[in-house]
Formats: sequence, C-alpha cells, structure tokens
Amino acid sequence: MDPSEVEFLAEKEVVKIIPNFSLDKIYLIGGDLGPFNPGMPVEVPVWLALNLKQRQKCRIVQPEWMDVDKLEEIRDLERKEETFTPVPSPYYMELTKLLLNHASDNIPKADEIRTLVKDIWDTRIAKLRLSADSFISQQEAHAKLDNLTLMEINTTRSFLLNSLNCMYKLRSNLQPGSSRGKSQDY
Amino acid sequence: MPCERKPMRYGHSEGQTDVCFDDTGNFIVTCGSDGDVRIWESLDDDDPKSISVGEKAYSCALKNGKLVTAAANNTVQMHTFPEGEPDGILTRFTTNATHVAYNSSGSRVAAGSSDFMVKVVEVSDSSQQKTLRGHNAPVLSVTFDPKDEFLASASCDGSVVVWKIEEQTQVISWPLLQKSNDVTNSKSLCRLAWQPRVAKLLAVPVETTVQLYQRDSWALVSTLSDDLGTQPINVVAWSPCGKFLATGSIGGLLTVWDVEGKLCVDRQKHEKGYTVCGLAWHPSGTQIAYTDTEGCLGLLDGLSSSSSSSTMAIKSTKSYDDLFDDNDDDRPMDEGVSESGSPAKNLVALDDEDDDDLVPATGRARNRSAFLDDENSLDPGSLKLGLDKLGNYEDDAGSAIVLPAASAAPLHPVYEGPMPTPHQKAFQPGSTPAHLMHRFMMWNSVGIVRGYNDERDNAVDVEFHDTAIHHAMHLTNSLGHTLADLSHEAVLLACPSTDELASKLQCLHFSSWDTNKEWMVDLPKGEDVRAVCLGQGWAAAATSALMLRLFSIGGVQRELFSLPGPVVCMAGYGEQLLIVYHRGTGFDGDQALGVQLLLFGRNRQQVIQGEPLPISRRSHLSWLGFTAEGTPCFIDSEGVVRLLNRSLGNTWTPVCNTRDHCKGKSDHYWVVGVHENPQQLRCIPCKGSRYPPTLPRPAVAVLPFKLPLCQTTTEKGQMEEQYWRSVLLQNHFGFLSSSGYEIDEEAQSRAQKEQQELLMKMFALSCKLEREFRCVELAELMTQNVVTLAIRYASRSRRMALAQRLSELALEKANQLQGPEEEEEPLQYTRRNTGFCSQVSGGTGRSSAGGQPRATNVLDSMTSSSRKPTVLLGSSVSAGKLSKTPVLKPLAPRPKSKVPHPDRKQILMSHEPSALWVKYHVFVCVRPKTGFQLWLEENRKSILADNPDLEETDVIKEAMGRFRNLSAGDRLSWTERAKGDEGDLKKRKRAEESQGDDNGQNHSDENSAKKKKPLDTSAKLSAFAFSKN
Repeated sequence: MDPSEVEFLAEKEVVKIIPNFSLDKIYLIGGDLGPFNPGMPVEVPVWLALNLKQRQKCRIVQPEWMDVDKLEEIRDLERKEETFTPVPSPYYMELTKLLLNHASDNIPKADEIRTLVKDIWDTRIAKLRLSADSFISQQEAHAKLDNLTLMEINTTRSFLLNSLNCMYKLRSNLQPGSSRGKSQDY
Repeated sequence: MPCERKPMRYGHSEGQTDVCFDDTGNFIVTCGSDGDVRIWESLDDDDPKSISVGEKAYSCALKNGKLVTAAANNTVQMHTFPEGEPDGILTRFTTNATHVAYNSSGSRVAAGSSDFMVKVVEVSDSSQQKTLRGHNAPVLSVTFDPKDEFLASASCDGSVVVWKIEEQTQVISWPLLQKSNDVTNSKSLCRLAWQPRVAKLLAVPVETTVQLYQRDSWALVSTLSDDLGTQPINVVAWSPCGKFLATGSIGGLLTVWDVEGKLCVDRQKHEKGYTVCGLAWHPSGTQIAYTDTEGCLGLLDGLSSSSSSSTMAIKSTKSYDDLFDDNDDDRPMDEGVSESGSPAKNLVALDDEDDDDLVPATGRARNRSAFLDDENSLDPGSLKLGLDKLGNYEDDAGSAIVLPAASAAPLHPVYEGPMPTPHQKAFQPGSTPAHLMHRFMMWNSVGIVRGYNDERDNAVDVEFHDTAIHHAMHLTNSLGHTLADLSHEAVLLACPSTDELASKLQCLHFSSWDTNKEWMVDLPKGEDVRAVCLGQGWAAAATSALMLRLFSIGGVQRELFSLPGPVVCMAGYGEQLLIVYHRGTGFDGDQALGVQLLLFGRNRQQVIQGEPLPISRRSHLSWLGFTAEGTPCFIDSEGVVRLLNRSLGNTWTPVCNTRDHCKGKSDHYWVVGVHENPQQLRCIPCKGSRYPPTLPRPAVAVLPFKLPLCQTTTEKGQMEEQYWRSVLLQNHFGFLSSSGYEIDEEAQSRAQKEQQELLMKMFALSCKLEREFRCVELAELMTQNVVTLAIRYASRSRRMALAQRLSELALEKANQLQGPEEEEEPLQYTRRNTGFCSQVSGGTGRSSAGGQPRATNVLDSMTSSSRKPTVLLGSSVSAGKLSKTPVLKPLAPRPKSKVPHPDRKQILMSHEPSALWVKYHVFVCVRPKTGFQLWLEENRKSILADNPDLEETDVIKEAMGRFRNLSAGDRLSWTERAKGDEGDLKKRKRAEESQGDDNGQNHSDENSAKKKKPLDTSAKLSAFAFSKN
C-alpha cells in the first residue's frame, strides 16, 4: 500500500470545523453533512475541512488529542512501555501532517505538536524495527503486534515480507535435502 | 522574647509597600510598587491571589469587603474583597494619592495626595466628598478619629494637622517634622495612628520617638523613646485593644510599646535591616504583619502572651484566660447562639463555603460572615458572648481593667439585619471584564469584537462569523473604547469620559451605501455611556444620567427618555429594545432589577413596563439578549436561562440551567447565543472561570434546553417536559407572524405535530395507568383530529366512559372552532384542520336547525372528511359486513339525501345517528366484536322488552349500564367468548386495518353516502395509536 493511499483513507476521519459561511445540509453518498452555521462547530471529513480551509471558508478545530499535554503523556508512556501503546487516533500521523500543513494557524503550539508526534512516531518505529530484528534473529514463526496503525505497518510491510522471502530462499538452499522436497512441492 | 518572628517572604518588587488585615483576620492584604494587591491566606500561602490595581500601588485599606487602594494613576480605587472585582473609582487627584485610610465603621475613606489635598469620601456614594485644604506640601499620611469627628494628617511641609471633618477646618497644627519637597524625599512616612475605641491618644512618629497627643486638649501627654532606636520611625500602629503601640523604623527596628507604662514590651529587628513601611495588627491582637521597602512581608506571632504578661495584674489576666478557655470549649453552643442570632449571615457563610465562585454580589456578605469551619477565625457570636461575660466581671470587680489582647475585637455595634447588596455594575452582555488586557468586548451571533490594551497596542478587532457580512476589521483604539456592540449593519463603540474628553459614541456603519461609513457623537459633559446596543436601523445608549438616547443607524438623534434606574445592560433585536436597570436596592445578595421591553416598529409601544426581573436568589445578571428568533432571554450568575413566555402574560420561564452541565464546581458556561429552532444554547465552556480567555480561541459548545419540571426521570415527566418545551419554544412563531415577519411554516407544523404526538403518547400512557380523568385533561390540549384518534384509542382499549367524554369534548372543540373558522390560517396543517372544522360546524349548524346539535357529526366527519374527490358508493357494498355487526342492524339505511356540493364540502347527513351509535360504528368497523357486543346481542331483546320506547342510543346506553353491573366473572366469560370469535377474524384483521379507509368507507357510506379517505397525518397517528395498543 502506498503512503498516499493510507493518507487518502485518513481523510475520511471526522474533524470539527467552524465555518464562516452559511449553508444548508449537503447530501453526499457518504452521508449528510452540515448544516453549516457561521461560528458554530460542525463535524466534517478531513478532506472537506482541508478544502474549505484552503478556500478560507472555515477554521479547523484541532482534534482533542492534538494537545501538547496529552501528547507528552502518550510519548512518555510510549517510551516507558516495551510494547506498543494505544495511539490517540488510528491515523494520528497522517492527521497531524495534514492538519499542521494546512491549518497550522488554527492550531496553537503547532510546532510542539509536530515534534511530539514525530517523537511518538520515531519511538514506535524504533520498536517496530527492534521487534522485527528479534523476530528474525530468533527465527520465530509468528509475532503479535497490537496497537499498530496502518501507516506504521505500511512502512515495514513490503521490506519485511520481501526480506523474509529472501531469507527463506537462502535458508532452504542451505539445507539441500529439504529444499529439494520443497521445490517438488511447488 | 516570647514573640516569634516568622521568616520574611517575597511579596512585591522593591519599593513602597503597605499591608493590612481583613476584618476577620483570615487574610493578609499587601500592595506594592508592582501595582498588585496580593491576598495571602497566611504567611505560608504559596499562591496568593493577585489583583492588579494599576501601575503602582502606594497604599491600601480594607474594611467590609471593600478594598481601597491608592494607585499611580492618580485615583483611589475600590475593589471587592476577596474577589478583587473592580468596584469603581472613589476619587481622583491631580497627582497620585499617598495614603488611604478607613474610618472605624468603614463608611468613609480618607485619602491624602501629593497635590497637598486630603479628601474624605463616603464609600457608599463617592460623590459626597469633603476636601481638606491647608497643607503646603504632599500629604504623607491620614488617619481618622475613631469617633469620626476629627482627622489627622501629616505632610511634607513638616506639619501634623488635626481637622474637624464636618467643618473642613484645621483644629490644630503642629510643626513636628522635617520639611521635604516630596514623599519620596521625606525621611519618614510618618504614618499617624489614632488610638482605637477610646480615641484618647493620637500617636505621631517624630524622628526616633513617638509623641502621644491627647484628644480635645491636644496636649503632648507623653513621648515614647528607646535608646536602641537610632533611626527615624516610619510607621506606628495601635493594637486593636488600644493598649499597645507598634512602631516600625527605617532601620528595620520593630518595637511594641505598652503605652500606659511607656514600656517597650517587645523589640524585633528586621532580618535584613530593611526599612519597615507597612505595619498592621491582626484583629485579635496576636500578630503583627509588616512589609519593607524591598517588598517583603513578615509576621510577628504570639504577641498576646508577651503583652498580657507585661504590666497587667497577672491574677486577673489568668481568670480572663480561663474565661476564654471556657468559651472555646463551649464553642458549639456559641455557634448555635450566633446562628439563631443571624441566620441570614450564616446562610451566606455556608453558601459561600460550598461555592468558591467569584460572585461580586455576595462578596460583601461573605466578608462580614464568619467562616465557621475555620479554627482561627473568631465567631462573632461567641466573641460577643465573651465580651458580655467580661463586662459582668468588670462590674463585679468594680475596677477598670484593660482587656487582654486576645479579647480585642471591634466593639462598634453590629448590625444584624439584612444588608443591602451593592448594585451590580453595568455591563455589555457577551463581553468579558473591562480590566483584562485582552478581552472580548462583544461576542454575539454576528461576530466577535476583541479589545487589546497592552504596552504594544491599544486596538479593537472586529471579526464576523459569516465573512459574507463584512471582512474582519482592525481599528486602533485611541479613544479607549470599553463598550461595543455588533450587528449585521454596524459596529457601535463607546468610551467613558476622561478629565479632558467627553464620553463618546462611535459607530462604524459598514453597511452604509455612501462613502461615509463612520459617525461619532459626544455626550454632554458629565454624562457617561454605561451600555450600548444595536437594533435594526437604530442604536441605543444608556448613560449615567439615567437617560436612554436613541440614534438612527446613520447617526440621526432620535427619541430619548429617562430610565427609572441605573442601567445594568441592554439588548436590541430588530425593532425590540430590552433594558434591565436597578429598580432599587436588594438585600442579602439579591439584586433588585427591573426590565423594560420596547417596540419601535409601526406601533411603538412598551410591551413590558418596568416589571421586576425574576433572577435567582443571590445572583446577578450575567447575560441578556434575544434568541435568534427574537424572544427576550436572560441568564443569571447561577446559570439559569430564562425565556420570555409571551403566551402567558409575558412571564419568564426557566428553560435551562447551565450549571447542571458543568463538571467542576468552578466551571461555567459563557453564553454567546440562544436559538429556539433548533433548540440550542450556544455557549463556551470555561474551566475554572466565568469567562473565556481570548487565546487560545475558545470553541462554542451547544447545550440542550430542559424545563425544570418535576420527575423528569419518569416517562411521564419526560414527555411533559418535551411537550411544554416544544410549546414554549414555538411561541415565537406567533410573535413573528403577528409582527409581520416571515416564518418557517414547515418548522412550525413540525413542532405542532411533535406536540400532538407527545400528547397522544401521554394519553396512551395515562390510559395504560387507568387515569381516565387525566386522559380527558390531555385531550383538552389536543387538536380536533387528534382527539378523534384519542377516541379511537380509548374505544379500542375498551374505555367506554372515556370515549364518551372525549366525544363530548370533541364536539365542544368543534363549537369553539366555529368562531375563528372564517379566519384564514397560514398553515396547511391548520388549514386542513379548519377545513375539517368548518365541515363539522356546517353540519352542526344544520342539525341544530333541525333539532339539537349532535356529537355524531364530529365522528362522521372524522371518517369521511377529506379533500379528496368523493366517490359515491352504494350502501349495498357494506351489506355483507354489516350483517356481522348486529349492533348496526337497527339502523335503517340512510337516505342519500345529499349530493356532493362542489364548493363546500357538505358531506354530513341530515339524519342523525346518535353519538354513541357512531362511536360503536367506528369501534366495530376497526375491531372484532367485544364481549359487550356479544352480550348485547343476546340481551337486546330483554332490554327492548323492558323499555319498548327506547331509541337505539338509549338502548345501548342502557345495555352498557347493565353490562357494567354484571359480575366480573360474567363479564370475563363474555370477553372470553368474544375472543373465541375474534380467532377467526384475526387473519383478516391486518387486511382490515391496512384497508382502514375501505372499511371506514363502507360504513360512512352507510351514513353519509359519501366516501372519504382519512387525513394523512391522522393516518400516521392512528398507526401509532394502534401500535401502542
């Protein structure tokens, strides 16, 4: 899966905006949106929020978890725990990137948030690498990875699978007897 | 030395400071050159509350919950204590005031200034001032005679003067001090002090000594001097008992004197040797708080023992101590006494304990109330009791004994009755307090006006929720506007008057089509704008001269009229102007507010003529405005939202309590708008405060309405609440249409339908609960065709008596509607309704012409009325069905006397089936036979035999009576039989119901020779009723 595809999925997440225009309900295939009252918060998908924001038709209200205190807490927990901790949103990285790139003026302490989310991301990716490493070095058959987000899985999936395949081939070549058997299976 | 010197702690930045205790002694209040007043709960208080009073604060004084400060902006200001809300400016000088002091009762404040003047101001009315002129240099300090007759002041010209306050004349002047040209250059601050209570002696610090002058003779009676004191004395302060005198000197030497014995009883050195410039005794006389010129605060504790052991007869002291110990043990009893003595006070105290909010209105009451749970505090009741006992003892002993320091308490008479509440200040609804540097000057449904007033910038930002109205604006606020309002047409700004400039009203009329988008008006001298508001095409300003000035939006001066009291706030909407003002003085925390509602439309009138505004007890008004639909609405500090109920004689109904939604005790909702359709209360949640900060930008939340009806946890209560809420919140439709606005008819019909559905639900519920009387009461609230549904429901659930009553009710309703039938109703729903009624009434009229009016008509029309084309059907169609219902049998086939008339839907038969008959008719056509019917089949003959002359109606009535008289077992068996019959009908039932109209049709053909389909809405509702069944 391409990161852009994951981002596309993330754009379906709902975010609150404060529109500065007035519009009745709009009826879309995915569901009804609105009504839009100026000054009244309304929930819309991220793609619409960004579109409206780019046209200066709204202010985006940051999601609740996008707060320095909360993120610091999550980061500290993430650093403390061996395993992956639950993340505030299944698309936290994508949303942070999208919202901060397009609406950083609506989000107080945008830079700090960016750093914190990056910290969390780095910690988690490091854990992922570490676990992949031990997975391979200990030649485990399976591993349990809870609380991983789609984007995180994506970063490692193609590489890990390919390398596992390669290693499998290499290993099977090392043991000629079994490899013959296997090849016959194929 | 037994007295304990507590370590100093940092309080203010370096410079002159002042300190005082509050009346109860629970708080230490300090002020300093950083312009802050800090309220310390104790010396160890790590987070003292700060009130910013100006650039620099020179002196402060506190009494009766009012904090008076002399600040660098040349004013003497008042703040409430302990809330710290600004409470106005007492007086102004041409330069800064140097010292402020209260008199013993707290009714007056004296202030000395660097402009050589001393002013005495009444706290309650700052316009009553007395100016004492005569000093030739800046005034150093002032002090009141405890008996309120004299005032003493010291000045840099070296003189200490005693004034007679009433005559504003000098009584005596002593040239005692060294001359200097300014307070900062003066060697000593020379804080004078008058002996409390007895008021015999005036203490004047002169160089290193304290001179004591006798009242009236003004002779120097003694001089207190100490060999160790080599530096000039800065401040002196009497202990509350009047026996001891504390002095603080430039070198940091603190001395406590026993005045009678001229003995130095205690001596302490400042830990760093800084100059002491503030000195205050705790009201109990056990502690002395002091501040130095470095801004530090210190405390001397445990003074009582040291002082009492000095010169007093030890024996008697001991006995007093015992007395007081006893009192301490008896505390609960004393509390009881005090509680019964002043219930109001204690109420306030308890109130305040569970609610730590900043409520300016109750600030005063809180301050004088005792904090019952505080061990250190002195309960006024118990203290008084103690003093009484002491008095008795003194009489017995027959000797004048100085009270021990511990008993020292103000002896002035305590007023126990209700205390007047200070008037709530005028405010703009939707604004945050004016003393904030960054504040919302207005947040309403149109947009936001923000005010910035810091070092960099003094500006006003205007932002619109809907950018289609106008783009955002940034204005420099050179005039110092503090009031603002915003509408779709204009921004209105107003500033208070200053010494040079008059109060101004500025209007940015951005919707103007010419090039001049701005106008400005100066108010007459001495008149300040207190509140402003904008309506459609007009602007209004209420002023300090109790005047309301009306302007057109283009700047033409229009009407003006006097207000009955000082304005609190105003709101405008369309052609409506809502004014709230002080009707009088409230007591014990209550505000006495009045409200006026004026209409400026074609018919100008005053809709509400100064009636009292019903706000919660001990609360003040916090928001006033109109809903988006134009209904007046207000919110008090208790969070209760009240809406004007125009349909009930302009009464106010509470529709929501925002406090119910708060999570924490100190959380509040700051309301920015109210909408009736959809029902929304738009507000900003504020954690731990009453209003939001400008940054981060607060987000609006929506709260639902909820009428405070009883038992809203039950199904019944919930539905009642929903019903009345819906009724209340659709009142605006009537008002809007009557004043010529367009209304959302769809929304109105939706609301009405919702109400009727709720009524039907409640009806069904009451039926289930066997509350037939209640059913009828509910039916009275229903519209006509819902009543017919209710009748159906009742008959289906076998409640004959109820159904009969309801049919009578339906007839009544039909008659009532006869009158207004001619009027064209704007709504489809109602129009249908009226159409329906006119049919009925037409029918009634006809039948009454031929005989007496009949309920039948109503029911007939229920099944037959419709606008759909009518189809003639032969009565033979239903013959087969009819045969199954023997009740119908005796009815002779109706002659089809009427031909459908194209214009009037004249569909009622001229013949008259009886009310009951038709009810059964309806009843039977939708249901299989009941036990009663079976019974009737069998017993009809016997009834007829008994009463051969009975008509069909009466036969059934009679039958019903008889059936009721049967034993329960018998009735049950009949019902069982009916159920047996029902069995074979069951399959058919659904088909029957789905083709309800077919069925009804057939029978109505019987009666009216007409076929009609039931109304859409009623069909829906009936479906509902059936499902409930």
